[in-house]
Amino acid sequence: MSLEPFAASRPLSLGVELELQIVNTHDYDLAPVAADLMRLLRKTRLPGEVKPEITSSMIEMATGICASHAQVLAELRAIRDALVHAARRLDVGLCGGGTHPFQDWSRRRIYDTPRFHQVAELYGYLSKQFTIFGQHVHIGCPNADEALVLLHGMSRFIPHLIALAASSPFVQNTDTGFNSARLNSVFAFPLSGRAPFALTWQEFQVYFAKMTRTGVVASMKDFYWDIRPKPEFGTIEVRVLDTPLTVEKAAALAGYIQCLARWLREESPFVLTEDDYLPYTFNRFQACRFGLDGTYVDPGTGEHRTLRDEIVRTFELLAPHAAMLEAEPAIALLREELAHLGNDAGWIRAQHAREHLLPEVVRQQTLRWSGEFGRRPTPSDAPADHGRGPAKM
Amino acid sequence: MNWRAIFEALPVTGWPPPEPVFWFALLLVGGALAGELIQRMSRLPRVVGYTVVGVLAAASGYGARVPLTGSSRLVVDLALALLLFEIGSRVHLNWLRFNPALLASSLAESLCGAAAIFFALRELGIGTTDAMACAVLALPASAALAGRVAHELQADGQVTERLTLLTALNTLYGALALVVLQAALHAGGGLSSVDALSALARSFFGSLLLAAVLAAVVAAAARRLDLRNESAVLLVLGLVLLALGTARMFGLSTLLVPLLAGVTLRCSTERPWIWPRHFGTAGGILVLMLFVVVGSAWSPALLASGGLAALLLVGARLLGKGFGVWAFASWSGASQRQGLALAIGLTPLSATALVMLADLHMGAPALAARVTPIVLAAIAVLELAGPIAVRAALVFAGELPLRQKKSAR
Repeated sequence: MSLEPFAASRPLSLGVELELQIVNTHDYDLAPVAADLMRLLRKTRLPGEVKPEITSSMIEMATGICASHAQVLAELRAIRDALVHAARRLDVGLCGGGTHPFQDWSRRRIYDTPRFHQVAELYGYLSKQFTIFGQHVHIGCPNADEALVLLHGMSRFIPHLIALAASSPFVQNTDTGFNSARLNSVFAFPLSGRAPFALTWQEFQVYFAKMTRTGVVASMKDFYWDIRPKPEFGTIEVRVLDTPLTVEKAAALAGYIQCLARWLREESPFVLTEDDYLPYTFNRFQACRFGLDGTYVDPGTGEHRTLRDEIVRTFELLAPHAAMLEAEPAIALLREELAHLGNDAGWIRAQHAREHLLPEVVRQQTLRWSGEFGRRPTPSDAPADHGRGPAKM
Repeated sequence: MNWRAIFEALPVTGWPPPEPVFWFALLLVGGALAGELIQRMSRLPRVVGYTVVGVLAAASGYGARVPLTGSSRLVVDLALALLLFEIGSRVHLNWLRFNPALLASSLAESLCGAAAIFFALRELGIGTTDAMACAVLALPASAALAGRVAHELQADGQVTERLTLLTALNTLYGALALVVLQAALHAGGGLSSVDALSALARSFFGSLLLAAVLAAVVAAAARRLDLRNESAVLLVLGLVLLALGTARMFGLSTLLVPLLAGVTLRCSTERPWIWPRHFGTAGGILVLMLFVVVGSAWSPALLASGGLAALLLVGARLLGKGFGVWAFASWSGASQRQGLALAIGLTPLSATALVMLADLHMGAPALAARVTPIVLAAIAVLELAGPIAVRAALVFAGELPLRQKKSAR
């Protein structure tokens, strides 16, 4: 299979995908009811779409093509409300978080589609350990070359994004010490990591042809890179974010990425070189392990700073772009969080320190997700019906 | 060492040993072995093995006497109390609020099941009161059995959850219906609705009160101790048994008290309650003995006299309950396949009916004696078919974990 042509898309348009956990309401372990949720939502019209994921206790929601942070937020809320309503009819909860804190991966079931079974066959237990939950953000690019330039510019900010979005401190009942333990699972895949340093589509095609000739890959889907081009959508896809605990945070992260993209595109603030990647894995590890307290090595100057300071610095740089994109509320939300608990991993640890019971922490995560933390739900919390059919980017 | 002297010193008083502990231990060993054997050979739940041991004991003339009395009643009461408390604690009443079709489905399967049994037995020429008693006793599907099988097979999904809810609710309806029936019999047919209601209210609110006390004490314990710890859970086990003893003392339903206590606990707070299933090993022994006793509660003579009516009862019940569940399946958000699986899963008839029969014996011995052959024969038919049906339902619904391919040794 050859590389498909890169479809042009509107620059800086946005699309968000979120992988969610489905949990029961008894002990808040994962519950295999994705197929039931899909069935209940079949007749609901949503602004984006809802899709099954590899194991039957995960579900993915995706917005359509959005122009702004506000639109992303509105669509995410609409889909979230529909999902939460359906989940209540099945007596299950939905929540964010990059990992489920105590699920037993050997008990997970592969969702019944040929592709998922094929992946499960190939990767064995890795595919079940892949019961992890991420947020993917697509940024539209007018052409393939611009997409690659944006991809390699954005790579410098992968640690920032990891630290801001990290929400997976617990795995298999244990505090891993990491802010994003989820990414450790991704790194186990043979084709994870970063994209090759190719700044033109022609170079990239040469690389892709070589890889397919080796038989190692058949399509772009086989690469689990931190950022990868998505030719059929005409986008680059940022894949390092843990699913946040709220749709508001998910929309804010998308808004932040959109601002970064505009800044990179409008100002070309640094020259891209292969050497940018020298501290890449170090920075990424620091972000996964220590979150906002991690050390960031500036690839350009070699300076060391904490990611917290680094991120605050980007807020200043992005301010004019946030104004142009009407993404100020997104930056404000992240800034506010940075001043308090920092990220969702911090929130999860704080709840655990108070409750000493991980199932209770997951229950509170479901309340964060449905937007009623501190409020009792009632059956009249039905979602509004949205007039637009599913859209693809 | 002089072994001979030691043996001679042992107070062996001949065969068969009169020690009840000996027989208890023999059943335990037999049940455990049969359970493992069944599980290895057939993938069926171990419960089938426990029941087989009971069936064999009954066939060789050592079955439990019905109505259950003495130690067999005690074992059944204790084990059932644990299982019902546990099942109650998984009943999320909020679910009914968000999905009212489930409540409709629950009422429909119970009403249709009871009505089908009543009319079928009337067709056979059985008296109104007897048919009514049979319909009430066969109303609950065995929550204990369905829960036990689902847990052992690690089932997970909507059918498993709905089965728990429906069996818990129809156990509740059954126990309450029995109270009304007893009140009616006591009034000699001239029962006013006031009498019925007051009997119902006394039994229900008495049980609820005791249940609430138990739930409150368990909740208080859970706040201070970690109930995931096997030693701490013994406290809860003790509390449930204490509540059961109190219920027996006050003549309250031994089914309602633990079930309502579980439900009250579950609804008292949204914070999850977590303890080892079946209260760990101690509870496991009781559960094993429960199924042995239930398996042994028949005799060839009873089977012969109640057989035909029992088969009719089983068939009518299956159709009635099945229709009730299936009719509301899609409104309640289940697929047709899941509706069918639920209908099959509601087949078992087991310890609950046996306890209700024993209760009926105390209030109305003549009537109880008349329906005993029918009910026991129905239990005998379903005690082995029941767990197999539950497993089949869960397989059909795709809720069992896929078995790993056996690796070459």
